[in-house]
Amino acid sequence: MKAIQQMVWDWPLRLFHWLLVLAVVGAYITGELGGSLTDWHSRLGALTLGLLIFRIFWGFLGTYYARFVHFFPTPGRLITYFKGDWHGVGHNPVGALSIFALLLVLAALIVTGVFANDDIAFEGPLFHLIDKSLSDRISGWHEWLVDGLLGLVGLHVTAVFYYLLIKKNNLIRPMLTGNTLLRPDQFVGSNGSLSIPRFIFVVLIASSVVWIVWSGLVTDYLASLSR
Amino acid sequence: MKLKCVWCLSCLFVASVVMANPIEDQIRIRQSTYAVMGWNTGKIKNQIVDHPETYHKDQIIAAANTLSALAHSNLLEELYGPGTDQGTGWKPTRLKADYFQKQDEVKEINTRLIKETEELKVAADSGDVAAIKSQFGKLGATCKSCHDLIRVRE
Repeated sequence: MKAIQQMVWDWPLRLFHWLLVLAVVGAYITGELGGSLTDWHSRLGALTLGLLIFRIFWGFLGTYYARFVHFFPTPGRLITYFKGDWHGVGHNPVGALSIFALLLVLAALIVTGVFANDDIAFEGPLFHLIDKSLSDRISGWHEWLVDGLLGLVGLHVTAVFYYLLIKKNNLIRPMLTGNTLLRPDQFVGSNGSLSIPRFIFVVLIASSVVWIVWSGLVTDYLASLSR
Repeated sequence: MKLKCVWCLSCLFVASVVMANPIEDQIRIRQSTYAVMGWNTGKIKNQIVDHPETYHKDQIIAAANTLSALAHSNLLEELYGPGTDQGTGWKPTRLKADYFQKQDEVKEINTRLIKETEELKVAADSGDVAAIKSQFGKLGATCKSCHDLIRVRE
């Protein structure tokens, strides 16, 4: 049986993944150090928001394996996996669970972060929509969520290395090159062609949302309503 | 007769002061201190970091002086007495219960706070916005280090 080389992760997805790694690691470090780095923490949070929005849209408009419909962990798929009958390509159902958990925690960190403050001088871009005591509580949630993030990232990295070292299945290379080797019975047909217009469209949407939140447009508009 | 009245009223006044809860007073006053510090750090962030076109040299000098004065105000000795990890000032205190076991670190951060605010005063006097910005960043990190050490997460 000859193995077939198959493009699994298209380049926008790979770019998204590695940019997310940089954004999250950078946000974590700048968040822990504080001081003048807090402004960078906010910018990296903005980048993370843009990347998350990109991924959500790409999950509907991207190539075959990037689409959520292909790997969303439904109960049926999870049962199939635990019975040992899942032989798919891309994210397996349990891996998919951890992916969605990671995206959810990151989304929660962003939603809490935009309202947060650090009691010193930093205020999130939507801080002025609420009062300080509510912002203080939200800032607490933001800090608690970091623990959750660390746990999930640790799990993710551990799983990747478990696959690499114990199961001898290198998952890092496909996330770099996009390609993996399939048995002919796993081959489902081409990954579909990458649509550049769709890619540009999704990037524009992600950038617009980030700009609206961070540029003060929301707070200015609401302030103008009360005048 | 009049003297007796004055004497009784004075005793009552002193008694009422003594009966006021010293723990809650300490919490309330130190919370006020940090609120005033926050007002001044916010001012510096606004005029030095976010909108340097609004920089007023005198206001920033005043802010730096206030921060330095508060750092020198001896509040660690006088407003963090035993039992002040529980109680309500303006709001419930967020002091960690193991604060009293961390005194060496607390004193070290306090020394750093005094040093950083004094250097902020020097920068503010110079009028050099870039120098103020850099020193302000260091001060913010010092503030944060104490929060992380002795303050409970919300």
